[in-house]
Amino acid sequence: MESNKKYWKGLEELQNTKDFVEKNKNEFAESLPMEEVLNEAGLSTVTPRRDFLKALGFGLGAVTLAACQKTPVHKSIPYLVKPEEIVPGIPNYYTSTFNGHSVLVKTREGRPIKIEGNPNCILSRGALDAKGQASVLDLYDVSKLKGPVLNDADVSWAKIDEFVKAELSKVGGKSIRIVSSTVNSPSTKAVIADFIAKYPSAKHVQVDAVSYTGIIKANEASFGKAVLPRYRFDNADVIVSFGADFLGSWISHVEFNTQYASKRNAAALKGGKMSRHIQFEAGMSLTGTNADARIPLKPSEEGIALLNLYAALGGAVSGVKKLTNQKADTAILLAAKELTAAKGRSLVVSGSNDVSVQTVVNAINSLLGSYGSTIDLDNPSYQYTGIDSDFVTLVSEMNSGSVGAVFFLNSNPAYEYADPKAFTEALAKVALRVSFADRKDETASLCQVIAPNHHYLESWGDSNPVEGYYTIAQPTINPVYNTRNAEQGLLIWSDNAVQDYYQYIQNNWSKSVLPQSGISWKELLQKGSVTMAPKTGGAYSSAGNVGAAVAAIVAESNALAKAGDNAVELQVYESTGIGDGKLANNPWLQELPDPVSKVTWDNYVAIGPKYAEQLSIGENDMVTVKTDKYEVTLPVLMQPGQASGTVSIAVGYGRTMAGKAAAEVGKNAYPFMRLVNGTLQGNAAATISKAGGIYELAQTQTHHSIEGRNIVRETTLKDYLKDPNAGTGHRHINHAELWPEYEQPGHSWVMAIDLNACTGCGACIVACNAENNIPVVGRDEVRKRREMHWLRIDRYYTINDSGAKVTKHKEMDDLESMDNVSVIHQPMLCQHCDHAPCETVCPVLATVHSSEGLNQMAYNRCIGTRYCANNCPYKVRRFNWFNYWNDSRFDNYMNNEFTQLVLNPDVTTRSRGVMEKCSMCVQRIQTGKLQAKLDKRTLKDGDIKMACQQTCPTNAIIFGDGNDPNSEVSKALKSERTYYVLEEINTKPGIGYQTKVRNTVEV
Amino acid sequence: MSSHHESILREPLVTGENITYSKVTEDILVPVENKPNKAWWIGFTVSAIGAALWVFAVSWTFWFGIGEWGLNKTVGWAWDITGFVWWVGIGHAGTLISAVLLLFRQNWRNSINRSAEAMTIFAVICAATYIISHMGRPWMFYWALPLPNQFGSLWVNFNSPLVWDVFAISTYFSVSLVFWYTGLLPDIATIRDRATGLRRRIYSILSFGWNGSVKTWQRFELVSLILAGVSTPLVLSVHTIVSMDFATSLVPGWHTTIFPPYFVAGAIFSGFAMVQTLLLVARKVMNFENYITMFHIESMNKIIILTGSIVGVAYLTELFIAWYSGVEYEQFAFLNRVSGPYWWAYWSMMTCNVFTPQIFWFKKVRTSIAWSWILSIIVNIGMWFERFVIIVTSLHRDYLPSSWVMFYPSWVDVCVFVGSIGLFFTLFLLFLRVLPAIAMAEVKLLLKSSSDQAKQKLIREGVVDPGQAAYYQESLEKYDSVSPRVAEYEKA
Repeated sequence: MESNKKYWKGLEELQNTKDFVEKNKNEFAESLPMEEVLNEAGLSTVTPRRDFLKALGFGLGAVTLAACQKTPVHKSIPYLVKPEEIVPGIPNYYTSTFNGHSVLVKTREGRPIKIEGNPNCILSRGALDAKGQASVLDLYDVSKLKGPVLNDADVSWAKIDEFVKAELSKVGGKSIRIVSSTVNSPSTKAVIADFIAKYPSAKHVQVDAVSYTGIIKANEASFGKAVLPRYRFDNADVIVSFGADFLGSWISHVEFNTQYASKRNAAALKGGKMSRHIQFEAGMSLTGTNADARIPLKPSEEGIALLNLYAALGGAVSGVKKLTNQKADTAILLAAKELTAAKGRSLVVSGSNDVSVQTVVNAINSLLGSYGSTIDLDNPSYQYTGIDSDFVTLVSEMNSGSVGAVFFLNSNPAYEYADPKAFTEALAKVALRVSFADRKDETASLCQVIAPNHHYLESWGDSNPVEGYYTIAQPTINPVYNTRNAEQGLLIWSDNAVQDYYQYIQNNWSKSVLPQSGISWKELLQKGSVTMAPKTGGAYSSAGNVGAAVAAIVAESNALAKAGDNAVELQVYESTGIGDGKLANNPWLQELPDPVSKVTWDNYVAIGPKYAEQLSIGENDMVTVKTDKYEVTLPVLMQPGQASGTVSIAVGYGRTMAGKAAAEVGKNAYPFMRLVNGTLQGNAAATISKAGGIYELAQTQTHHSIEGRNIVRETTLKDYLKDPNAGTGHRHINHAELWPEYEQPGHSWVMAIDLNACTGCGACIVACNAENNIPVVGRDEVRKRREMHWLRIDRYYTINDSGAKVTKHKEMDDLESMDNVSVIHQPMLCQHCDHAPCETVCPVLATVHSSEGLNQMAYNRCIGTRYCANNCPYKVRRFNWFNYWNDSRFDNYMNNEFTQLVLNPDVTTRSRGVMEKCSMCVQRIQTGKLQAKLDKRTLKDGDIKMACQQTCPTNAIIFGDGNDPNSEVSKALKSERTYYVLEEINTKPGIGYQTKVRNTVEV
Repeated sequence: MSSHHESILREPLVTGENITYSKVTEDILVPVENKPNKAWWIGFTVSAIGAALWVFAVSWTFWFGIGEWGLNKTVGWAWDITGFVWWVGIGHAGTLISAVLLLFRQNWRNSINRSAEAMTIFAVICAATYIISHMGRPWMFYWALPLPNQFGSLWVNFNSPLVWDVFAISTYFSVSLVFWYTGLLPDIATIRDRATGLRRRIYSILSFGWNGSVKTWQRFELVSLILAGVSTPLVLSVHTIVSMDFATSLVPGWHTTIFPPYFVAGAIFSGFAMVQTLLLVARKVMNFENYITMFHIESMNKIIILTGSIVGVAYLTELFIAWYSGVEYEQFAFLNRVSGPYWWAYWSMMTCNVFTPQIFWFKKVRTSIAWSWILSIIVNIGMWFERFVIIVTSLHRDYLPSSWVMFYPSWVDVCVFVGSIGLFFTLFLLFLRVLPAIAMAEVKLLLKSSSDQAKQKLIREGVVDPGQAAYYQESLEKYDSVSPRVAEYEKA
C-alpha cells in the first residue's frame, strides 16, 4: 500500500524551485573545489611566508627536541647462528682445573663468570679457596699481552716460531733449559719429554717460589722416597704444627681445611670428640688462629723445639740444648704427652724448608706411627715438586755461559728468586730467552720472546696433583687475546708429529689414564677428574740421620739468634690471599683482607705489640728490616701473638711489572730467602730500625678486641661435654613485639654458621665478590673504611692472662705479655632479621621484608639517606659512595668495559648513592625455585646453595629453608650450641651461629 | 596589643626621647630606604663568598658523590646531620618568640620577633639544603614525599622518622613563612606609602592591598592569633620529631626517651643564642638601641640560662640512665662519649652548653653586651658539638667492635658547613636591606604604654607612687642609651 505521506527535506524541495532541481542533479549539492585544488595553479600555490616560517619553526623545534633524547647505544650483538648449547640467561657449567683442583666453570652466553669447586674433586670436595675464586678475574685482566712479542715488537706466531726454531738450531753444544714452577700435568710433562727427545741437551728445571724441597729431600733421606706425602688431618686426633700454615697456604690447604674441620665440626662434636691442635710459630698464621693452644716460638727455636719433642717422645738424640723459652719448653713436654697418648692418630708437621728439621719431623712421626694413618707416603702429592738446588745449579750454568736457550713456563725468577740480581746477570748470558708469561712480567721483560700462554679458562690442560687423581681442564671461552698454549709452542718448536695440543692431550689420556680407569673422554669432560683406587698407605719407619741433623739444626739456630741491639729474627711467609704473588694483579685478592691482620693492598712488618714498645716502634711507623743481603722499608703492623724478638713479612708483594693493581703494593720479600744446605730458608737474622715517616695500612677492621661483649660465644670441649649449652649464654630476651609477625607461609630462608668449623680463610668473601658484582674500592677507600664486601669475617683477639680472659682493649694495653692469644673468626653478613631495624627507618620503603624471610633491597628505590646503615646493629650495609663502575678513580675492574665481562648478569650493578648488602644470593634462590617449577617438583633441601656456602672448605655455612624441619639448616639450628648475635635486642636474626668450642689443653 | 597603662615598675620596652610613630618608622626604615653602608657591604661580601663556597661544595658533592665527605661504612651521618639539626634548632627561637610569647602576652617580643622569624626561615632553608644534599641520590628527593606517582603502589614508609621529619620541617617552614609574612603586611604597606616609582609598585603588590582600615587591623590581629595558636605546637613538635630520628633507632646513645624534651630545650637554647648573635650586631650597626634594649638582651639571656640548664640536666640524666639501665652497650656508648677518642667533643659541648652559660647568673654579665655576644657564640659552638657528639660518638662505636671506626671530616664537609653559614648570613643581610628588621607596627603599639617616654610622662604627671618612680629611674641605669637622662633626673 502506498503511503500518502510525503516527507520533504526543505522548503526548496516542497516548492521544487528551479535552483533545487538544478542542484539535485549532482551528488553533492554544492560543487566541490576539486578542480581548483587539483589543477596546476592549485598545486603550485605558493605557501604564504608566514605559514612557511611557522612550519619551519615547528619542524626545527620538534626535530631539535626529538634529537635531545639520547638514543641508547646497545652494544649487544645477537647470535647470527645460535649455538645449540647456549640459551641466553641459562648458565653452562664446564669442568676445568685450577691448581690441581677440579672446578666447575660457570659460563653465561659464552663467557666464564664464576669458578666453583667440583664436588667430585677429592681434594676440595666442591670447595675452593680465595685464589681459585678470584682466578676468573685474571681472564679479563687488561694488563695481559695481546699477542706474542719478539724483541719488544708485536709479531705473528709464525714469526715467533721461525725465530725460536732458528735460534734453537743455533744452540749447538750449549744446553737448553725449561724452567717452570711445579708441573704436575701429565700432558705438559709428556710435551716437555718430547721436546727433550728432540733436543737432547734440554732439561726441565722445576722451581717453586715457595718450595717444599726440605720435605722432599728429608723423605728421600728417611724413607728413600723423594716425595711430598699426602697428609691426612682427618685421621689426626692430635695435631702439632711447627710453623706450618696448613689452613692458609701450606701445600694443599683447601684439602687440609676440609680434613681439619671434619675432626672439629658439629658431627665430630656430636660424637663427643674433637681434635686437639697445638701450634708453635713465630708469626700469627691463619692456622695459628685456629689452634687450641698456640705457643709463640722464634724461628731459631723451632728446630730445637722439635729436637726436644723428639727427645721427650723417647727418641734417641744427643747434643740437644734445652729451650730457653720456658713456656715453649713446658708446651713441648705437654705436646709429647698428648702425642704419645694418641699414637697412630697424631701428626706433627713443620713449615720449615730445612732438610735437617724435616728429618727430625720424619723421625718424630715415625716414632708416633703416623705413617700409614696420618701421613701417606704411597699416594704422594705432586703439588710441589720443585727442587731449590736445581735452580741454583741452573743459575751457575747460565752464568758460566753453558746455557744456550732458556724457557720460562709459569715461573718468574726475576721476581721470586732469592737472588734476583745473580739470576738477571746470568740470564743475560743466555742467547735465547723465551717466556710463556701472559704478561710482560719481571722475567718476561728480560726475554727476547714472549709467547703468551692461555689463561687456564681458555685452554686444554690436565693435572695430576696427587697420586691416582687426574683432572682435566677444558677451554670455556675462545682465547680472548692472540695467545697460544705454551705446550703447543713446545710441540711446534720440537716438530712434534702432533702439533695440536688438544689432540696431544687426548692421545696422552687414551694411552694411559682412560684405559686404566675405563671411562670415556666424554665422561671425563663431564666429571672433570678420574680417581684411581688409592694404594694402601704403608707404615714406614724413618731411617733419617737425626744425629747429623742435630748439628745442622743447632748451627742454624745459633746463626739465626744473633745478639745485638736491633737484632730480630725475620720470618718470611706466604699469605693466604696473595700467596706466592703470581695472582698479585688480581684486585679481588688485593682487597681481600688478610684473615689475621685484616690488612688489604699491602704487606707489612708484623711485630708483637709489647716487643715493638721495647723498640719504641709505634703503630703505622715505617721500619727498615735489614739482613746481610737485602733490606726493605715497610710499615709496621702490631700483631698480637707474634713471638717476641721476631718480625714477619709476607712474600707475593712488591710486584713491579704484574699490572696496574699490583703496582705499588708492598715490597718484595723473596730476596730475604737464604740458601742453606741446598734449600731456601724463609728465615734470617735481621736488624730492625725506624725509617722515619708513617704509613697507614688499609685495614678493614681496626678494633680487635670484643670488649667483653657476648657477640662471639665460645666454650671448651670439657664444658661442652658436660653441658652442650655451655657458652651459649642465652640471655633474657624481651619477647614483646612492636611490629606484626611476618608470615612466611612458603619458605623461610635461614642460615647457620658454625664458628667451630669456620677457619677464617676468606674464600667466601671472594666468592661473594664474584657472585654479586661487588665493587673493589682500592687502598685509599679501604683506609677510609669504605670497603664494599657484603660478607666479612670479624676477627677478635682475646688475651689469656693467667687463667683470665682479657677482652678489653684498655686492659690489654696494661698486660705485660700479649703472647697467649686466642682468636675467633666470625663471618658477618646481613642477618636478614625478621624485625629488621633497617626496614622501619627507610623513608621510601627501599628495604623491605619478603614473605620468605629475606630482607630485600630495592636499589632503584633507594635515595641514599644511609639511615638503614646507621640503624643496623650488625653494620653490614654498604653504601655506594661513588659510581664505582663508571669513575676513572676506581679503575679496578668494574670500570673497564672488557673486565666488566666478568660481571654476573643475574645481579645488577649498583649506581652511586644507593645502599647495598647481602641479598642471600636471591638470584640463586630464584633460579632454584624456577628450576624446581620447571621440573614440576618441590624444592629439595640443598638445591640452592649460597655462593659463600658453596666455596667453604669446612662447610661452616649452611643455608636452607627453616620451614622444613628436615633441612640441614633446621637441624643445624636445633643444635644446643646455636645462638643469635645480639638476640637481646630482639631483631630476630635469620642467621644462627654455633658457639666455638676450644679443645684447650689443661696445663 | 592594647595600650593600657602598665606598672611603672616594668622596664620600658622602647627607650629614647621624642619617639613618635613617625620616628619609629624613620629609624627602622633607614637600612631599607637608603643605600647600604660600609658595614653592610663588608658583611655581605664575606657572606656571599661563604654562600659561593656552599654552592661550590654542594655542587662538588653532587658531581662526585657523597664519598667526597668523610663518612664511612659505620658512620653514615656526621657533619651533614649535625649541621641539619643545628640549623633546625637555631630556627626554633623564631616560632617561640612569635607564637608562644605572643600567646603569653610577652610584649618585649615585639621588637625582636621579626628578625627572629626571618632567622628561623633562613635557618630552616639551610637545614633543608642538608636534607637534600646528604642524600645519595638527591635528584630523587621527592620520593620522600607522599606524592601520587606512576611507580605502581609505591608510597612512603610512614613508620620512618625521616618521613615524619619531612612533614615536620615542611609544615614548620610553611607556617613560619606565613606567620612572618602576615606580620610583615602593615610594615610593607608603610614602606609602600613612603616609596615612589617601581619600589612603590613592588611593595604595593607585596602588601596584598593593605589599607590600614580598622577591619584590616582586626583581621590582622585575628590571623596573628590563629597562626600563633597553630605554631605553638610546632615549637614542640618539630624538634621532637627531629629527635625521633635518633630516639626511635636502636643505636646505643640514640635510643633514649629523654630526647624530645631535651632536643626542644636545646633548640630554644641555640635559637636564642643565634638571635643574640645577630641582633647584638644589628642593633649597633643599624642604631636600633632604642628598640632593642638591654632589657631585651637580658630577657633572652635569662631564657638561655634556663634552657641551658635544662640541657645540662638532660646530659646528666642520660649518663645516669645509661648506668642505671645496666645495658652494656648503653653504658659503653656514654662512657665512650665522656672518655673515648672524641672526649674533647663531649667536653667542649659540656663547657660551652652547661658550664659557661652559668655565668649569666651574674647580672653584670647578662647585661653586658660584649659578654652576651661572646656567650651567644659559645652556645652556638656548644650546640653544634652536642649534635656532633650525639651523632658521631654513638655511631662510631656501636654494637660490634669489628666495625668500630673513627670519623674524620673531609674538606668538602667543612666547606658545606662553613658555606651554609655564609648562605644564612647572605639571606639575612638581604632581608635587612629590603624589609624592616623590627616590626614597626608592633613597636608602635607599645609606644603609648611601655616606652620610657610614656613612663616618664606618667612620672612627670605625678600619677605614680614616688617610691616606685624612683625605683624605675634607678633601674634605668642598666639601659645603655638613657644615661644622660638619668643625670637630668638627678638634677631635677
